[in-house]
Amino acid sequence: MATTATAHQTKWWSGGKSPFNMEYGKLMMWYFLMSDAFTFGAFLISYGSIRFSQNFWPDPNVVFNAFPGAGHANLPLAFVSVMTFILIISSVTMVLAVHAGHKGDKQGVIKWLAWTIVGGLAFLGCQAWEWHHLITGEHAVLVDGQIDIIGQTTGGNPWGDLVSHDAALAALQKTPHETLISLAHQSNHALTHEQLAAMTDQQLIKEIKLDELHIREKGPIAFGGYFYGITGFHGFHVFSGVIINIVMLLMTKKNVFQNRGHYLMIEKAGLYWHFVDLVWVFVFLCFYLI
Amino acid sequence: MQHPAFEEVTIHHEHTDDATFKKKVRKTTILLSVITVIELGIGLLIYTMHKGENPNELLVLMFKGMVCILTLAKAYYIVSVFMHLGDEIRNMIMTIVVPLLLFIWFITAFIWDGNSYKNLRNTYDKHFQETTMPAKHQHKEETKPVEKPAGKE
Amino acid sequence: MSEAMNVHSGVAAAHAVHHDDHGHHHHEQSFISKYVFSMDHKTIGKQFLITGMVWAIIGGLFSVLFRLQLGYPDQSFPILETFFGNWAKGGQIQPEFYYGLVTMHGTVLVFFVLTAGLSGTFANLLIPLQIGARDMASPFLNMLSYWFFFIAGIVMLASIFVHTGPASGGWTMYPPLSALRQAGEGQKIGTDLWLISMALFIVSSLLGGLNYISTILNMRTKGMSMTRLPLPIWAMFFTAVLGVLSFPVLLSGAILLLFDRNLGTSFYLSDIVINGEILPNEGGSAILYQHLFWFLGHPEVYIILLPAMGMVSEILSVNSRKPIFGYMAMLGSLFAIAILAFLVWAHHMFVTGLNPFLGSVFVLLTLLIAVPSAIKVFNWLTTLWRGNIRFTPATLFAIGFVSLFISGGLTGIFLGNSTIDIHLHDTMFVVAHFHIVMGVASFFGMFAGVYHWFPKMFGRYLNNTLGYMHFWVTMIGAYLIFWPMHYQGLAGIPRRYLDKKGWVSFNQFGELDKMITVVSIIVFAVQLMFVFNFFYSIFKGRKVTTPNPWGANTLEWTTKINPGHGNWEGEIPEVHRWPYDYGKDGREFIPQTEPVGANESKH
Repeated sequence: MATTATAHQTKWWSGGKSPFNMEYGKLMMWYFLMSDAFTFGAFLISYGSIRFSQNFWPDPNVVFNAFPGAGHANLPLAFVSVMTFILIISSVTMVLAVHAGHKGDKQGVIKWLAWTIVGGLAFLGCQAWEWHHLITGEHAVLVDGQIDIIGQTTGGNPWGDLVSHDAALAALQKTPHETLISLAHQSNHALTHEQLAAMTDQQLIKEIKLDELHIREKGPIAFGGYFYGITGFHGFHVFSGVIINIVMLLMTKKNVFQNRGHYLMIEKAGLYWHFVDLVWVFVFLCFYLI
Repeated sequence: MQHPAFEEVTIHHEHTDDATFKKKVRKTTILLSVITVIELGIGLLIYTMHKGENPNELLVLMFKGMVCILTLAKAYYIVSVFMHLGDEIRNMIMTIVVPLLLFIWFITAFIWDGNSYKNLRNTYDKHFQETTMPAKHQHKEETKPVEKPAGKE
Repeated sequence: MSEAMNVHSGVAAAHAVHHDDHGHHHHEQSFISKYVFSMDHKTIGKQFLITGMVWAIIGGLFSVLFRLQLGYPDQSFPILETFFGNWAKGGQIQPEFYYGLVTMHGTVLVFFVLTAGLSGTFANLLIPLQIGARDMASPFLNMLSYWFFFIAGIVMLASIFVHTGPASGGWTMYPPLSALRQAGEGQKIGTDLWLISMALFIVSSLLGGLNYISTILNMRTKGMSMTRLPLPIWAMFFTAVLGVLSFPVLLSGAILLLFDRNLGTSFYLSDIVINGEILPNEGGSAILYQHLFWFLGHPEVYIILLPAMGMVSEILSVNSRKPIFGYMAMLGSLFAIAILAFLVWAHHMFVTGLNPFLGSVFVLLTLLIAVPSAIKVFNWLTTLWRGNIRFTPATLFAIGFVSLFISGGLTGIFLGNSTIDIHLHDTMFVVAHFHIVMGVASFFGMFAGVYHWFPKMFGRYLNNTLGYMHFWVTMIGAYLIFWPMHYQGLAGIPRRYLDKKGWVSFNQFGELDKMITVVSIIVFAVQLMFVFNFFYSIFKGRKVTTPNPWGANTLEWTTKINPGHGNWEGEIPEVHRWPYDYGKDGREFIPQTEPVGANESKH
């Protein structure tokens, strides 16, 4: 066996050995990732298909412009770039963990795996914040001739086309009292809820700074479903990747791989983790950039 | 030399020394970061163009295409360096890359038909057209005052 | 379990070193680890086969029930009410029940029988045996693959027994019908269970497929180069590739459908008014689901057909005592079919509102499939040509396969033309086409495989007389059932309708429908006879006395008559030649293990 392998002209396909010089587990992981790429591909392509079937699609820079702690400042793409960098860096630490594994350096594996797990958790935290912000966001939207306040959910999308000043003014006249109060509150934080509640509709409308509210029409409903569906599915992958990495960390600590003589499992976990990063690159492209 | 656990595998890779390896990883990390920053720059550029009076749709499309190409470059570096596919046997690389070519027709057909669905609906479903077509072509002038004074969102 | 693990690590660790361990472990294996949670590929293959047979009986019975409705729409069958209660009030099959039956018949036969039951059985059984491996690359994942399939089956079975009945949106489960609970009884919990069951099934098929691919690539014995692989292995290989790349797309489609049903998203829904209620969903596209579904659905057709093609090639060559004609052409056409399978999905959607120009591209790609299909057909025929044919039941079924593949394949050319499809779409013509080419033909491949490899599976033969009866009744019956449907379809009879009395012009087909129903009952009964033959022969069949009863070249016949876990007792044999040296240099057959002689002629 060894003699055939050391021959200069290796006959990779003649049987008795792996044609790719790769053990079956890694091979299966690669092909699994490929099939998973088709799952994600199908999601993203469906999203593309629906997007192309719409006359209007929101500009991502308008949708994703918030940053934790920055209030209402307009910071398009800032937060998502932080998320992207977290994932890239965690991919780098994973590379280092795999490399440490090749050298049989247990402490190195532990150190870098731990950092990878931290990165994964940080990413999940960011995603949770982003989802929460989008779902609970309060956006003034023109619906059926009156103003409504909605967040970004699977059933509604507040990012339609901007409404003209006159149309918005007309809509305010028909808008219910409670909605006017919240709108006025958004424009003028100095007044308390009680003070606002005491005002009449017309007084409230005067308080509302229409130009700052950016009242929009309803956007395509499908946006929410795809955004939450695909980033959620990606988040699920990150989550399972973190779980896998934690298991790997525990196994490393218990010397399972050292006793086995190789750290190939770390390599396979690494492949999965990089794949998660790879998918994010495309999610980032499809939802945030174009 | 045989692999300790899998006799069908002979060990061959990863004999590069630490320094070269670290250098390669550092280089790739920087490259990925730089590409991401460029992508963000283009994203913001598209944003400012959209805010402008008459966004040049062709130019926007071109920039979007550029972002797509940059993303593919990123994907290439992640797969080939981080996932070490570049270090594998050529045939192995082919078994991964060739099936991915199916995506070409997969994407083309889906987007083609999505676009066709839009055209069909705009032709035969006037309600769809009226409710979803962005109004900017009709009252662009009226929208402006809303945006201008605000300056930023 | 731990013994099994030991065997496994032995298998993975070394082909040669641990071989003498295998004998010891078998005495110690408990019933559970030997027959239930077995990691032996041969046992898993048998598990797939027997589970598949149970599902085939269920699915076949369903078809008999709705054939009763189609053949005798006015007749009352009180016995149906006894068994199915409200579903067959007054002995008449109710519409909801009919739709449920049709849906379950399609789902069960396409996925559970012809995907899991066919490629699950023979990929598991044949891959390690024919490539010369002790087991699959990962016996553990292989076991999981079966048990995921089993659980998927349990969920599907459960859906039949829920109060509102099973999913009834057709096996393709098109939205908006399948996405709306209000649309009917079957669209309630039944459809959710259907989707969950399919998700589990996809997991099973992925685990299996990944295993098959890495086993074929990595675990071939010495000398077994890719071009020395027997054709069934190549067919299973492409089948697995198709499954690994296309099932995930169905998974995506199913997940989106689940979301539409349960989370109020609008992936497939737009502008819907149901029972006077206007739904808020907007912007989705029902055509999108069809794209996603058929991106799997079309490769699925070949997932079903390719293993049958591979096995038929092998069986025809062995039993006509001639080398397979055009081995490389067979490989090339398998490869071409595998690629084209991914490029033609929208030919199922010509009348959905698909862009007609895009449709014409799909027509072109679809018609291209005729080329590799024809190559295969001619190769089979030329393999048989002037052969010294042994008409075993396996051979007959293999020849039957070729016949059905030709007749069913030709009608595919009709349907692949978008203009003709406008007339034929959703008529009985389609039913006739895919039942012949995909359903019955694949069944014939499966039967051929069972008759041929039964001695390897159980060390006994199936009863030949019953086998011949099985073949002739099924063959004639299949044509009697499906051939007339072409005429019905050309006349415009729609499929999936439970009652067509409303059309006076279709009344002329009433007697024909009765005939089809009667024949389908007879054919179903004969399948039960085969099942009897199968189980009877496991215990009482004629015993196999020689390791190589068919005089075949491939490696599975170099093992003991009843091989244990690990397959070969000694070292795994080395391979020196391709598997089709039949009738060469005056010798009837030359096994793959025999070194090439000095004076041997080239093949």
